[in-house]
Amino acid sequence: MLFNSYIFLFAFLPVTYLVFWSLHSARGRYLWLTLTGYVFYGYWNPKFTLLMAFSTTVSFLAGLGFLKWSDPRRRKLCLVVPITVDLMLLGFFKYANFGIRTATDVMHLFGRDVSMPHLNIILPIGISFYTFHTISYIVDSYRKVITPTRNFFEFATYVSLFSQLVAGPIVRFRQIEEDLEAIGHADRRRWLTRGLSFFVVGLVEKVVIADSMAAFVDPALAQYPALSSGGAWLAMLGYTMQIYFDFSGYSTMAVGLGYLFGLRIPQNFNSPYKALDPSDFWRRWHISLSTCMRDYLYIPFGGNREGEWKTYRNLMLTMLIGGLWHGASWTFVVWGGYHGVLLAAYRRFDRYWDPLPVRVRQGAMFLAAVVGWVLFRSTTFPMALALMRRMFVPTPGLLAANVWLVVPLLVAAGAWAMAGPNAFDMRHEWTWRRRVVLTAAAAACLAIIAGTRSSPFLYFQF
Amino acid sequence: MTASPTPVGGPAAAPAAAGAARVDFASRVARAAGYGALLLLFAAAFEFTCRLEDWLRYRMPWWTPITSQDDLVVFDKDGGHGRPGARYQKWVMNNLGMRGPDAEVAKSPGTLRVVTVGASETFGLYESPNREFPRQLEDTLNARLARGACAGCGVTRFEVLNAAAAGMSLPTVAQDIATRVRALHPDVIVVYPSPAQYLELEPPRPARPDSTGRRSRLSPARAFRPRALDRLRNQLKLLLPEVITTALRRREIAAAVRGQPPGWQYTAIPADRLDRYESDLRMAAGVIRSVGAEPILATHANAFAGGRENPTLLSAWQRFYPRATGPTILAFDSAARIVTERVARDSSTRLVDLMGTLAAAPDSAFKDFVHFSDVGSSAVAADLGDAVLALARARQP
Repeated sequence: MLFNSYIFLFAFLPVTYLVFWSLHSARGRYLWLTLTGYVFYGYWNPKFTLLMAFSTTVSFLAGLGFLKWSDPRRRKLCLVVPITVDLMLLGFFKYANFGIRTATDVMHLFGRDVSMPHLNIILPIGISFYTFHTISYIVDSYRKVITPTRNFFEFATYVSLFSQLVAGPIVRFRQIEEDLEAIGHADRRRWLTRGLSFFVVGLVEKVVIADSMAAFVDPALAQYPALSSGGAWLAMLGYTMQIYFDFSGYSTMAVGLGYLFGLRIPQNFNSPYKALDPSDFWRRWHISLSTCMRDYLYIPFGGNREGEWKTYRNLMLTMLIGGLWHGASWTFVVWGGYHGVLLAAYRRFDRYWDPLPVRVRQGAMFLAAVVGWVLFRSTTFPMALALMRRMFVPTPGLLAANVWLVVPLLVAAGAWAMAGPNAFDMRHEWTWRRRVVLTAAAAACLAIIAGTRSSPFLYFQF
Repeated sequence: MTASPTPVGGPAAAPAAAGAARVDFASRVARAAGYGALLLLFAAAFEFTCRLEDWLRYRMPWWTPITSQDDLVVFDKDGGHGRPGARYQKWVMNNLGMRGPDAEVAKSPGTLRVVTVGASETFGLYESPNREFPRQLEDTLNARLARGACAGCGVTRFEVLNAAAAGMSLPTVAQDIATRVRALHPDVIVVYPSPAQYLELEPPRPARPDSTGRRSRLSPARAFRPRALDRLRNQLKLLLPEVITTALRRREIAAAVRGQPPGWQYTAIPADRLDRYESDLRMAAGVIRSVGAEPILATHANAFAGGRENPTLLSAWQRFYPRATGPTILAFDSAARIVTERVARDSSTRLVDLMGTLAAAPDSAFKDFVHFSDVGSSAVAADLGDAVLALARARQP
């Protein structure tokens, strides 16, 4: 089920909302949110709800273990076993075929052609996200950053909360714990208007900008060998806007939905194309993931505590794993590595970089991000190389269909992304002027959705 | 004696309370009016976006009396055919009332003109714009021509005109060929019939000519018909789970059968209807030859060919032909294939067995029970392309 579908907007959401607020106990609300989370998830493929239930139960039991035992060995067991189980599930469903393919290729490189079977595995939507939820819960419990909950349904609500279940943000238990604890006496009206406002802003980002871009980008990149330099730039700039507004739109809608149920979900995007350097970019892009990577990978690797070169190594390792988290393909790994290099280079040369004018730094960082998206979007390295060649070596070929439409849209999207306010910068007071704007925007989005079948969010695949 | 206390809200307070009530009432009215205005704004913005999107995506005029697919067909002195210059969403009719780009009546030298005739399967419903099989046929023929597939046959260009229209039956097709298509001097006419039309309540007849044009006249007021309604209706259909849509279809079929005399519903192939299909097909082939063109007959393909079973999809098909049971529709389509082969053989006409081709195609070839996807249309165009090229090579340059 997609947030930008009529079934969600006019059936799932109203029923979930009305029943939720008609219940008055925390227990009832936990139960209801868990149930609706499973319905939301199972709408895509009911079988995989079992997987999520299993992962939830294992992590919850680990939390109980932390409460019960103070002996370090037992605590470590409670840390290692559930994380291993979670990672094994993720590894099997997401990376098994990638591993097989890579092993076959490596064997081939050494002159041994081995035929290994391709496993017929369906990747459960959002497995990377809820696995991160459960792992962060276990690690934070182990580190005593949080006190594990004894209430199974509170934890199940946290894992299966439909607003952030399949594409994040990766909300950590500590970030939502306070609201979850207080769910029994949450005030329906307190965040209602703010929630609606966030939701509509997210819907505009997704439906009006990201999907319009997709309508041009996807066909253009499908024929990338025929693109001219201008066409390649237009397609990649379009993709740069598409992926941002798609994911940011989803996150903003998730935040809005959270507010509707009295839960404050943290900001996931803070206008990343306003970033002035790679470090700044990762403080603004997919904030929930980058903070997770910092806390659960970079710092445990040693962070910047062990000298300059080890810091670079830790940065690279973190970003390579971050790249792999995005998808089971070497192009994602190289994309992660590319950003690792950018981060390391910035760390080494920041004293030369920082005095440059703001516009220069912002423009250069934006350009660096666009180049990164070439790796991210390409399904193969030859595709990435061909696109790069077209972008940087003047090449004749196709420009784009409907340029007259694409260019103004690109300019508008770029202006919003690079200079405009994000949802968290906006005011969400329920003034009449704002009501008028939101009503018109919501109507426009619903009309567009009604004219096409809702397109899935890009980050679902991760 | 004690003085009685002044009652709270006594005589002095009454006007103030009345005033407050008036203010309260006025503010309620103002708020209600405000929400009413928001509702109107919502409706206006929804409709505006529908029209803007139609214009951006399809170049559909902001104000047009053509508000549905049905309006793409016109009934005039020639019978029923496509409305010249009409445009509704992705469906664009040319100056001749045929789906596709504008065309000259006179053929340019070296052009081999192919006309495709039939119903919605040929007209194209679900394919992306310009991916319906007649367009793909033109593309494939010209691509093969460029690769030298028709060297020495005197053809410099293939032109495919799509004269099909949704619901067009064989008698109407024959009528259209004899009246309108004849003037285009086609070299080849591809007939892709829809045999299931012979299971309608009454067997198909040629469209009644209407020299007044009154029947198809579109009132300019239709331009104001909300386009939002169509979109919402479609979304409503998508909202309903398949179980419910199937149940609703079955109910509709049952309602059509109810009240009919026993034996009204065909539970076996009705021989008279099959004979009628055969005679109409023979007549169409004859008319094609009479206008100087070479016919190509194609067997009708459906999504169930090759033993594929899908009761839900079958009930969707049966909804259009409640007079026959689902299995009867399938049996009739298969029997019509044999009849088409026989007619082709008897009339020395080239046959393309699309039912056979599509039976081996993936499920994705169909978007519903009989209508093609881009993939299906591509397979159809490839097979028809072979047949047209064979005819072109056989012609004297």
